[in-house]
Amino acid sequence: MENFVYLFAAYSLIWIVLFGYVLSIFWRQRGLERELERLRDKSGQG
Amino acid sequence: MEKGLTVRDRFGGASLLTGLNLAMMVAALYLALLWAPTEAEQGNVQRIFYFHVPLAWVSFLAFFVVFVGSLIYLWRRSRWWDALAHASAEIGVVFTTLVLVTGSIWARPIWGVWWTWDPRLTTTTIMWLIYLAYLLVRSYATESSQGARFAAVLGIVGFIDVPLVALAIVWWRTLHPGPIIPQGGVDPSMLFVLFFSLATFTLFYVLLMMGRVRLRLAQDRLEELKYQRMQGD
Amino acid sequence: MRGFWGKALAIAWKDILAEARTKDMVLSMLVFSILVIIVFNFAFESSAEQTAQVAPGVLWVTFTFAGVLGMNRSFVQEKDRGCLEGLMLCPLDRGVIYTGKMLGNFIFMLLVEVIVLPVFSILFNLPLFAPRLVLITVLATLAFSTAGTLFAAIAVNTRARDFMLPILFIPVVVPVIIAAVQASGLALAPGPGEGYWSWLQLIVVFVVIFLAVSFLVFEYVLEE
Repeated sequence: MENFVYLFAAYSLIWIVLFGYVLSIFWRQRGLERELERLRDKSGQG
Repeated sequence: MEKGLTVRDRFGGASLLTGLNLAMMVAALYLALLWAPTEAEQGNVQRIFYFHVPLAWVSFLAFFVVFVGSLIYLWRRSRWWDALAHASAEIGVVFTTLVLVTGSIWARPIWGVWWTWDPRLTTTTIMWLIYLAYLLVRSYATESSQGARFAAVLGIVGFIDVPLVALAIVWWRTLHPGPIIPQGGVDPSMLFVLFFSLATFTLFYVLLMMGRVRLRLAQDRLEELKYQRMQGD
Repeated sequence: MRGFWGKALAIAWKDILAEARTKDMVLSMLVFSILVIIVFNFAFESSAEQTAQVAPGVLWVTFTFAGVLGMNRSFVQEKDRGCLEGLMLCPLDRGVIYTGKMLGNFIFMLLVEVIVLPVFSILFNLPLFAPRLVLITVLATLAFSTAGTLFAAIAVNTRARDFMLPILFIPVVVPVIIAAVQASGLALAPGPGEGYWSWLQLIVVFVVIFLAVSFLVFEYVLEE
C-alpha cells in the first residue's frame, strides 16, 4: 500500500534529470565562452 | 555583447529570481511530500502527481512557445525568435521525458503495469516524438539557417497536429475498454499544493529559458566569428 | 499562361513520365508491400477470425512504410539529378510545386494500392470488393501524400535523408493511421460499422489542415 520505493524513485529521477540539465546548460555556456575568448585573443593578435 | 557574457554576470541579473525559485522548489517539495494529506485510495504514491502534473502543463506551455516562436521566426526572420523556439523545444522534451517516466512509475503500483495505451499517455508520447524530431531535423540540417527554417515548419505543423492526435487516440481508446483513472473529490489542500508546484515549475521554465536562449545566442555568435575568420584568411 | 492547376498538373505529369521510364518508385513500393504482407503472414499464423482482426493493421503498416519509401525516393531523385534546383528556378509559386509533387506521390501510391489490395484480399481471405474500404484507402492515401510531400522535401535536404522522413512523418500521421485502421476494420466487418463516417471525417479534416498549412509553409522549405 505504501509503495515508498516508487515515490522515492520518481522524485529522485526528477531531481537528477533537472539538475543534470541545468548543469549541461551551464557547462556548454562556459565552454562556449572559453572558445569565444580564444578566438578573440587570436584575432586580436593576428 | 562583450560584457554580458561572463558566467557571473549572467547569473547576477537573474540571481534574485533564481534564489526565489530555489526557495519555492524546497517549499514545493515539503508541501508535496510532507504537508499534503495522504490520498485515501492510492496512498503516498499519489504524491508523484504534485510534480508530474505541473511538468506536463509546463511542457504544453513550452510547445506553445515553440509554435509562436516558429511563426514569428518565419515571418520576421529574427534569430532571437528561432533561439526562443529552439530553447523551448529542448526544455519541453526534457520535461515531457520526465512526465512519461514519472507517469510510468506511478502506473506500476496503481494500475499494475508500467505502460498502458491510455489516451493521455499515448498522446503525450506522440507529442514527445514530434518534438524529438524537431530537435533532430535541426541537428541534421546542412546549415543552421536551413535547420531553423525546417524546425520552424515542424514547430508549426506539429503543434497543429497534436489536437488531431489527441482526438484520434481518444476515439480509438473509447472503442476499447481501458483502465479507469480513479476520480474522487479533490481535497482543497491538495489543489493548493498542485498550484504552488505549478507556479514553481513555470518560474523554473522561465529561468531555464533565459539560460538556454543565451546559450543559443552565444553559439550563433561563435559560429559567426568563426565564419568571419574563415573569410578573412 | 496556364493557371495554377495547369502548372501543378504539368509537374505531376513530368513525374509520371519519368516514372513510366524507370518504374523505380512504384516497383520498389510494390515489392516492399508484398514482402511485408508475406512476412506478416508468417508472424501471425492464425485462424480465420484472428486474421480478420489483424488484417487492417497489417494493411496500414504496409502502406505507411511503403509510402515512406516511395515519397522519399520522389525527392531523392529530384535532388540527385539537380532537378529540384531547376524546379526552384522556374517562375513558379512554391504552392504549385507542392501541389504537383503531392499529386504525383498520391497517384503512385494509389497505383501500388490498386495492385496490393487484391493480393492482400486473396492472401487474407477477405472480401475483395468493399466500396467503403476503397473509399477510406483513397482518402488516407491522400492524407499521407499531403504530409509526406512536405516532410520528404525537408528530409531530402538534411544530412540524414534516409532516416529523416520516417522520423518526421510517422508521429505526425498517427491520427491518419489510427483512423485508417479503425475504418478499414469497420468496412471489412459485417454489419453497419458504426463510427466509420466519424473516422472518415477525421481524415478529411487532416487533409484540409495539411493542405492549407503545407501550402503556406512550403516556400520556407524550398528556399535557397
